[in-house]
Amino acid sequence: MSETVLKTEHLTKTYKLDKGEVQPLTDVNLEVKKGEFTAIMGPSGSGKTTLLNLIGAIDKPTTGKVFLDNVDIGSLPGSQLCKIRRGKIGFVFQNFNLLPYLNARENVELPMELSGKHKGDRTKRAKELLATVGLEGRENHRPNRLSQGEQQRVAIARALANDPAIILADEPTGNLDRQNKKEVVKLLANLNLNNGTTIIVVTHDGSVAAQTERVLYLNRGEITKEKAGLHREKKNSALVANEEEEKVAITESELTKLQERGILTESELEAKKKELLSKF
Amino acid sequence: MAILIAIPPGIAANQNATNSLTNTLGNTITQMAATVNNSSTQIQCSLTPSASTGSGGRFGSSAGSTTPGGGSQQQGTSRQFIPSYGGGAFGGGSLQPMNESSYSDVNTSLSGVTVVEPILRVVEGHNETITPRYGASIQSFNVTVPDYIITGVPLNASLIDNYPILPTNIVQGKNLQPNETGAVVLLSENSSAYFDAGVGATVNILGTNFTVAGIYAPTSTSDNQSVYMNLADAQAVTNSTNVITSFNVYATSKDTVTSVAQTIQSMHPELTVTTPQDVLNQIQQLQSTYGERLNGTTALIDGTQMQAIEEIVIAFAATGIIVLFVMLYTVRERTREIGTLKAIGASDAAVMGQFLLEGILLSVLAGIVGVVIGTIGAPYLSGLLLPAVGNSFGGYGFAAARGPAATPAVTVSPELMLIGFSAAVVLGAIGSLYPAWRAARTRPAEAMRYE
Repeated sequence: MSETVLKTEHLTKTYKLDKGEVQPLTDVNLEVKKGEFTAIMGPSGSGKTTLLNLIGAIDKPTTGKVFLDNVDIGSLPGSQLCKIRRGKIGFVFQNFNLLPYLNARENVELPMELSGKHKGDRTKRAKELLATVGLEGRENHRPNRLSQGEQQRVAIARALANDPAIILADEPTGNLDRQNKKEVVKLLANLNLNNGTTIIVVTHDGSVAAQTERVLYLNRGEITKEKAGLHREKKNSALVANEEEEKVAITESELTKLQERGILTESELEAKKKELLSKF
Repeated sequence: MAILIAIPPGIAANQNATNSLTNTLGNTITQMAATVNNSSTQIQCSLTPSASTGSGGRFGSSAGSTTPGGGSQQQGTSRQFIPSYGGGAFGGGSLQPMNESSYSDVNTSLSGVTVVEPILRVVEGHNETITPRYGASIQSFNVTVPDYIITGVPLNASLIDNYPILPTNIVQGKNLQPNETGAVVLLSENSSAYFDAGVGATVNILGTNFTVAGIYAPTSTSDNQSVYMNLADAQAVTNSTNVITSFNVYATSKDTVTSVAQTIQSMHPELTVTTPQDVLNQIQQLQSTYGERLNGTTALIDGTQMQAIEEIVIAFAATGIIVLFVMLYTVRERTREIGTLKAIGASDAAVMGQFLLEGILLSVLAGIVGVVIGTIGAPYLSGLLLPAVGNSFGGYGFAAARGPAATPAVTVSPELMLIGFSAAVVLGAIGSLYPAWRAARTRPAEAMRYE
């Protein structure tokens, strides 16, 4: 839980326009640890997309640094940036951006094809990933044969293809209805919970942000506050639940041992077990 | 593409037409000059309405008899008296029949004259309505299509033996004998095909039966459709007793030709008296006239080629520009896709390669379509895009030469297809270069913003 995946130092972006300068980002310092599920929230024009582009190796900072897996990506040449995007980052877009002439499986295979994985390996992995996002049996459907929620799940599977260090999702629920929004957020949360995937979601939707572990508020290019999201409790409770289950197991086995040594009768053991389980 | 493929064969066809024209003219003129030199003591005398062009032309008897309304006509058949040289090719013109006895004073008693050869030549043919295409205008009129030409010559032993009045190259049977009547000598190709008769067979000429004595092969300067027979027979079958169309006077030597000609001219001012020198002069005149005409044609062809090159250049430029715009449009349409590709890690080179490939594929497809259209439509397209040389000659009544040029044999060779196809691929690549570069330069950020 302590390894840092992403770190920005005094990150500033300035655009020169005819009428002077625009500074969508000012001195952003941010640290994301491995396995974190973070939301960046803010109104339109607050610099969300600029920040995502900088940490996604799409744009270069004017000043400041972006470290991804301890590599300063701001200093890399363009040819290296595409390798970073290919291997370290998984993008999820608001408009899904699946290639319309490829089916679901081929879309998921695409990043692996770009990184030179063998056909057999990438087909196998694409099928696994599509199963993970709940699209088993839909592998050969073209995007136009899939619902919007399904398309976004294919896009998430594609983002996971090269096992990136971080998933960057830009308004992933922006084009989805309520039901699909819920499911996509749940999918991201489960990926984080079960697979330890590090995820940053950029959104202006408070209900989405609330489902994450940690919410950063961006306003006028600066991070103004940070809050814990619901996901943290869930994660913690999952942790606690695990600990409690272990405790019960230990107690159970101890009770069984007592019975074996003749201290407890069988009926007493059953009663004790019931009593124990009722506590949880 | 179709244009690219259609133009070169059009040029080739025009060049071929001009080349064949040049060769035909050159051969004919050379042979005519040789003939005149060989019989250089021959003085031709005739009553030609168009005296200056009455003799000399031997460009196919068909051209000579295309003058509408010439001669007498009989119920679908046509008869024309023509000069011994086979009819004037330039302006046509039949001869006026001459009364043989009116010219009995031109005989061997004149100083320097060795022999006089009266000749009767009558074209037997049928009328046809033709609608030739002269450039853009289409006219139709009746022409006499000759079937055969009755050529009556006096079969005196001394004439036959010493002067070239009968065909020299007999290929079957034998030539006409002195004083032979009721016999004919046919040309191997034309006449025998028309009459369908071999040596020894009987042919019917204007109601009279003749035996085929022999078959002669054509020389380029001899008349193509002559049926040689005794002069008396010819006069009999054509109801032209005592009528001739011309007579040749042979001088004792080349040196006396001029004085003999002058004597005949003074005796009969109405006659057109043509000496070998006159014929040579006419030939030379002809040669220079046709030289000029050929130069004109060559200039026309050069112009055509320039035009064709311009058209090809325009076609090339248009192809490149079309590919350019189509690919630019494609790249623009697919900005999001390109951005996505780049965002998920496609390199600039990969994106550029893909769009170059697409541009080339597009051109290859267009190339295939073009080859198909070009192959089918080349003859029509060539005709539309290039002025046909044949048509420019058509107005001169140049039947023999007009033939091959009027229907240019436009074919699309495999080489031409390959060239056209390669051009398509290269143009596709060039035209896609900039759009592909634009695609490669697309910022991945646009994938997220572009709606």
